[in-house]
Amino acid sequence: MAVSRKAGAVKLDVNRLVLSNGLVLLIAENHSTPLVSISVIARAGSRFEPDEKAGLASLAAELVEEGTTTRTSRQIAEAIDSSGGHLMTFGDYQSNRVALVSLSRDFNLGLEIAADLLMNAVFPEDKVRQQIDRRLAQLKSRLDVPRTQASDVFNETVFRGTPQHRPSVGYEKTVGALSRSDIEQFYRRYYVPNNTVLAIAGDVETSQTIERVESVLGGWQRASGFSSPDVPRPGLEAQAVEKHVTAPKEQVNVFIGHVGIERKNPDYHALLVMDMILGSSPGFTSRIPRILRDQQGLAYSTFANITSSAGVDPGRFVAYIGTAPGNLDRARAGLRGEIARIVEEPVSGEELDIAKSYLTGSFVLRFQKNAQVSEFMLDAEIYGLGFDYLEKYPDLIRAVTIEDVTRVTRKHIHPERLTTVVVGPVDETGRMISKQEML
Amino acid sequence: MLWYRVGSRDEELGQTGTSHFLEHMLFKGTDRYAKGAIDLTTHLNGGINNAFTWLDFTAYYFSFASDRWQTALEIEASRMRDTTFAEEEFVSEKQVVEEELRIGLDGPWEALENEVWATAFRQHPYHSPTVGWLEDLESATGADMKTYYDRWYHPRNATLVIVGDFDTREALAKIKDMFGSIPPGPVVKPRNIVEPPQKGEKRVTVKKETPVERLLIGYHAPPVADPDNYALHVAAAILSTGKSSRLYKRLVDQDKSVTVASATHHDHPDPALFLVQAEVKPGFKLADVERAVYDEIDRLKRGDMSAAELEKAKRLIEADLVMSNEEPLQQAMLLGQYETIATGERVPEDSRGFRYLDTMLDRINAVTVESAARVARKYFTEDNRTVGYLVDQPNESPADGKESDGGG
Repeated sequence: MAVSRKAGAVKLDVNRLVLSNGLVLLIAENHSTPLVSISVIARAGSRFEPDEKAGLASLAAELVEEGTTTRTSRQIAEAIDSSGGHLMTFGDYQSNRVALVSLSRDFNLGLEIAADLLMNAVFPEDKVRQQIDRRLAQLKSRLDVPRTQASDVFNETVFRGTPQHRPSVGYEKTVGALSRSDIEQFYRRYYVPNNTVLAIAGDVETSQTIERVESVLGGWQRASGFSSPDVPRPGLEAQAVEKHVTAPKEQVNVFIGHVGIERKNPDYHALLVMDMILGSSPGFTSRIPRILRDQQGLAYSTFANITSSAGVDPGRFVAYIGTAPGNLDRARAGLRGEIARIVEEPVSGEELDIAKSYLTGSFVLRFQKNAQVSEFMLDAEIYGLGFDYLEKYPDLIRAVTIEDVTRVTRKHIHPERLTTVVVGPVDETGRMISKQEML
Repeated sequence: MLWYRVGSRDEELGQTGTSHFLEHMLFKGTDRYAKGAIDLTTHLNGGINNAFTWLDFTAYYFSFASDRWQTALEIEASRMRDTTFAEEEFVSEKQVVEEELRIGLDGPWEALENEVWATAFRQHPYHSPTVGWLEDLESATGADMKTYYDRWYHPRNATLVIVGDFDTREALAKIKDMFGSIPPGPVVKPRNIVEPPQKGEKRVTVKKETPVERLLIGYHAPPVADPDNYALHVAAAILSTGKSSRLYKRLVDQDKSVTVASATHHDHPDPALFLVQAEVKPGFKLADVERAVYDEIDRLKRGDMSAAELEKAKRLIEADLVMSNEEPLQQAMLLGQYETIATGERVPEDSRGFRYLDTMLDRINAVTVESAARVARKYFTEDNRTVGYLVDQPNESPADGKESDGGG
């Protein structure tokens, strides 16, 4: 078995090779269950779509399984379902994805279908129309979740002027205006082997797998002169910003924060420790869940972090709470107070120890499924972490000191420049209002 | 994982939500672990822990690297009997649970689910949601909580599941050491609450401001390991697993009337509901989607399914079982769940408890087109169903007379 675990460290044997057409292939064997995960990234996502075509990248991603030159949409679905596998095609901010999990005996079928979607999608007009109509309804339904609505407003404010201010799913206005040719052009430009990484993890044999991949994807034509567009970088607000959005809900949903960091930022590991101390532990050892939930009973869900959204572009530093409207002032002051405190005062040695013990000890638990191993390989490739990252990780965390936490917190967290977004039964000044007043 | 055979199914009227609230209180400290110490110990050992409560069970779990998992045993042994119910902890946690309930009230599906179950079950406690009714939660007391804990939290009512890299003999010795001295606990006489057969269709409408209307249909269905139950799992797969499923092809592809539709059938120790749900696109009518669902169900009842379609459903169920065993925590979940719910004389001996998982695929594979159609005809009837509509209703009048009090 190529994935071996002992306390605190995971060793993973990854085979990496680049096909002559530029496709990067990553393979990790794991024979503990008769399963395999095939996970593909085309480096695109909504960061490469213009404002007026918001939603384009994710629609293209979803539509690749709606027909190819050799298979109809129905044939793809029948083939996958009949094997008991699960196929997902989707796009987010920085990637267009094809992901498949199946029994390993069906690996060849899965690989052939994945390759077909990557190379030969045809985007039938009726399927494009159908998916756009469905998306328009989904855009309405997602706003039924107040936390999503609040998160969208927060991003629109904090990432103004960059593609990250939009939800990857787009807006009704932009999605409604998309055409089949928009989608096909996006696909032709970005679904090319020299912009694609293919990760395979599970019950497969490496040399046979390489042969299979060569045979189904070796003929995929490299795109000469391929280049990615430049993406504008978000900047910090000069001062604090407040936004209140009225919604007839039981809770107020509050997001407080600002622009965060890229995954490649050298301060990433120290900030990971900071996150664990401030607001991202799974239970109540972090300050924000402990104080605002466990001690004050203000919320079921409250957290803060900067690393979890760190990607190719800077993510967001964000603190969240969902609470009854009458608690709004206390909750907001509580979050802001904890943000200020972690910048002003050094964390304690005990807090540092808990955070580091948790991060190093629980790391092994995150690579038990093939799909998780595939995700890691993709991240390692995209961010240049190195495939020995799993072995190095515990030392990177152990090396973080109290001074490191203070230094990176002061550098990356700015209590005077926070954007606060409140969605719920409040008016535009933030005053609580009753349901009758909302009419 | 430690599983207790207690959930909202065991609650009295007026005290709904107690099982779930109690689960929260089990993180608030014991005589050996002060408040916060359970998480602290877990994280210092690099582990994770959590818990969940549903209709039929409450379960607590830990995941640790294999050289330090025994910490979990010490914690579970301590909180099985020695949880302290400090009044101030109870008061602040009550607010947390109320916030959890409010998230549900703001969510798109919960309001409709609550009403459909409450309408379908007039007598059986599946009537009430696991998180409880807000009015019951508000009046809950710490003393109620302690009484409930003393009734249900004992070795006699618990199953310990350990999966992973450990030495069995050594583990058993440690378990004996930790749990052996705890008295087995009282014999709780099972309540025998039987939901009477439904004599006609029930319908319920929930009004809520929403841009997207929703449909939820529940059919009374047999309990886990019932001979008919396997065919219902097959029916759920045929109806809704994958893009080649019936509901997807009909509602998403052909009628284009929904964003998503699904059929789900969960295993329960008592007869529960087989559910079909759909999120209806603006411009389409709930009644039309409902009728289309019945068309597809009628096809099943007529036996209008090919051998290949039946095979595909069986394959999907089999593959999902393999995929549900990929990591130790998932294995522990399955073993604990069936050991907790597949009980009683009613369940054939070879399928009782965790052994359910050994026989499940054989029983699934024995389903034929004829048996699937027969079971569909038996359960998917008009008289046996409860139909719920979630309809858009902007707040046009202060009809509920109760504004959000904000007090938490």
